[in-house]
Amino acid sequence: MLPTYCPSCQSQLKVKCLKCESCQTEVSGLYDLPTLALLSAEDQQFIHRFVINSGSLKEMASELKLSYPTVRNMLNEIINKIKAYEK
Amino acid sequence: MKSKDIFSLMINPFSRIAGWQAFGLGLVIVIATGIICTFSNVAFDGVIDMHLTQNLTFVHSFEFLAIDIVSLVLVMTITGFIISKGFRIIDILGTMTLAKAPYIILAIAGYFTVSPDIKEIIKNPFIVFQSVSFIILTLLTIPVTIWAITLFYNAFKTSCGVKGGKLVVAFITALLVSEIISKTLIYKLM
Repeated sequence: MLPTYCPSCQSQLKVKCLKCESCQTEVSGLYDLPTLALLSAEDQQFIHRFVINSGSLKEMASELKLSYPTVRNMLNEIINKIKAYEK
Repeated sequence: MKSKDIFSLMINPFSRIAGWQAFGLGLVIVIATGIICTFSNVAFDGVIDMHLTQNLTFVHSFEFLAIDIVSLVLVMTITGFIISKGFRIIDILGTMTLAKAPYIILAIAGYFTVSPDIKEIIKNPFIVFQSVSFIILTLLTIPVTIWAITLFYNAFKTSCGVKGGKLVVAFITALLVSEIISKTLIYKLM
């Protein structure tokens, strides 16, 4: 799991360096983490399964053995988190 | 399944079941409740009300239950439209119908209850304490009603996807309004 918050002060982390494993080139800078990477592992897993299931809440409900409104509420919570990150 | 999971499922089965499935299951339990009520003379004359009566007909028993569910679903749906962005009416209908399930316990318990005569109670209210089965039924109504209201709350919460103070205020208001509407309809129509 990619760390997204500072273990010392809990501020949001940024990407400072990326490295090519093939030629060892390093790209340095100060890049924002993608919004989806800021979500918890559980939420990311949910989005992953949601995409795999073609965005069907019914399929998701069947896979997770949960009711349709419960899955829809889970999705709404993730949408609210993403909106909050984007602000 | 652990006992914690069973308890969780008992107070909120709607995390697993909603919509048409919940409506189907709820309807079966409500029909069974209506049939038992005609034998036990238990009248559900209000969304959260229950009274012992005499010579309850099959038709009246089902009319009471139908008015209860229609009032509850109608008011909860209108409240849902006010406080929630998007929900399915079938979820409200299904979960609310299933949430009436605990009342089958009172319908069964009513069968074994010997109710003191109403004229005698008016003369001497303390006569009710002479009937042990009546006291047991009265005490049983408390946990069953609490269980049913918890189910109504979780049904509304799951179906509409609302949280916090807004949910609590809207739910209490909707429940009281639906109780008043059901009592009024039963009084006017019966």
